[in-house]
Amino acid sequence: MTNKIIATAVLSAALVAGIAETRAGSLENLERERAIVVETMLSPSLRSNERDDKIEVSKRRLVDLERMVIRDKSLATKNTPVVRTAFENYDLTFLVHSSTEVQKTIMDHWLEQIGVSTQSLMTARMGRR
Amino acid sequence: MKHNAHSTSPAKFAVATTFAVLLLASTSITTVAHAANPEWQPKLTERLIRLPVDHLRRAVDNDFADSSLASAIGDVTDKVGGKSKSIQDLSEAAERADSELSTELRHQALVEKQSLVKLMGERVDLKRKHLSTKVRLYKRLLKKAQGKSNPNSPSANQLAKNFEAATNRFDRTVSQVDMKLFKSSMASESKYSKDYRKNMAAIEKLVAAINAHPMNQLPEIDGKVVGKEDYLRQLVATTESELAILDQEESILGYMAKLVALDAMALSEGLTEFDPDNEDPDKADPAEITSVVDLFVQ
Repeated sequence: MTNKIIATAVLSAALVAGIAETRAGSLENLERERAIVVETMLSPSLRSNERDDKIEVSKRRLVDLERMVIRDKSLATKNTPVVRTAFENYDLTFLVHSSTEVQKTIMDHWLEQIGVSTQSLMTARMGRR
Repeated sequence: MKHNAHSTSPAKFAVATTFAVLLLASTSITTVAHAANPEWQPKLTERLIRLPVDHLRRAVDNDFADSSLASAIGDVTDKVGGKSKSIQDLSEAAERADSELSTELRHQALVEKQSLVKLMGERVDLKRKHLSTKVRLYKRLLKKAQGKSNPNSPSANQLAKNFEAATNRFDRTVSQVDMKLFKSSMASESKYSKDYRKNMAAIEKLVAAINAHPMNQLPEIDGKVVGKEDYLRQLVATTESELAILDQEESILGYMAKLVALDAMALSEGLTEFDPDNEDPDKADPAEITSVVDLFVQ
């Protein structure tokens, strides 16, 4: 009887572990959506208002995806290069939340993070290499 | 015949009966057999570490209780109890018996003592086997618990730090983002946000129930609440102290064996009644050569 009870307890513990491990891929989903936003920002084929609309739609999805990632506690122990890089670059990973924090648009914030500011673009000169 | 039976002293009769019963009892006790090489191989998985520590301790004890080693220790303990009782009875009977029977009973008591020392030695060996296995198991579980809470590499530690910092920074901006996205625009809250909020309420209830659950209470050492690792460390230390006590018990057995040997020597040489204070120095020793001289001068 005691053995049966212990076996049940062990199985329950395994169930808890299983539940904790089911939520995978939250970061991958965020990365995918972020890549789409970046592509939209850089796309030369879009007009300004089209770009803004598309970014606005993606932004809403990104908010949820960013929250899913930060609430995914399993990532704290998932020591892979992708996860490490994501948390080393908070501003680039959590683009919507970090841009809101500094009160800038997503595009301005992203460009600034990769080293391109509005001022540097304005002072840039076109030329041949 | 009848007269002879009545003339036999009751004490002698009782002693003889007790002696016979004890012999019989000791024979029946020694027939209890146990496995030739009793062992305990814990069948517990390391997933047990996820359970409350007090349950873990009980699970370890229950697993041991089902092993052949536990049965063997139980058997030997019963035998030790039987032997102790028989030695006590034999010693009491020897005090009441007349000289010849008394010597026989004392001899029997010595044999029983010798066998008791052997049994106790066997018990110490079995207990050592049990405690060593238990220490190894607790150490393995402790290592597992430490591995869970402290990732080994510096990069894993750094990741944990970054994650925590990100969470803190994120929490500060959540309401700001909500305000900007949902309150100031016509857009409604996303399905994820609504469901998340609903689920969070359920989660909070469950977490409160888990925290209040008696099996989830943190263990205490000397009235102080401690974590899983500390409790496991305490279990390792307690089991190791029991092993140290076993070493001491082995020394005691050594002294007991020596005492039995000395008693046996004393009994065989008839020195048990030797008392130098009562010895008469003037009493002639019949074996001395001066005592036998008279035989020749007569």
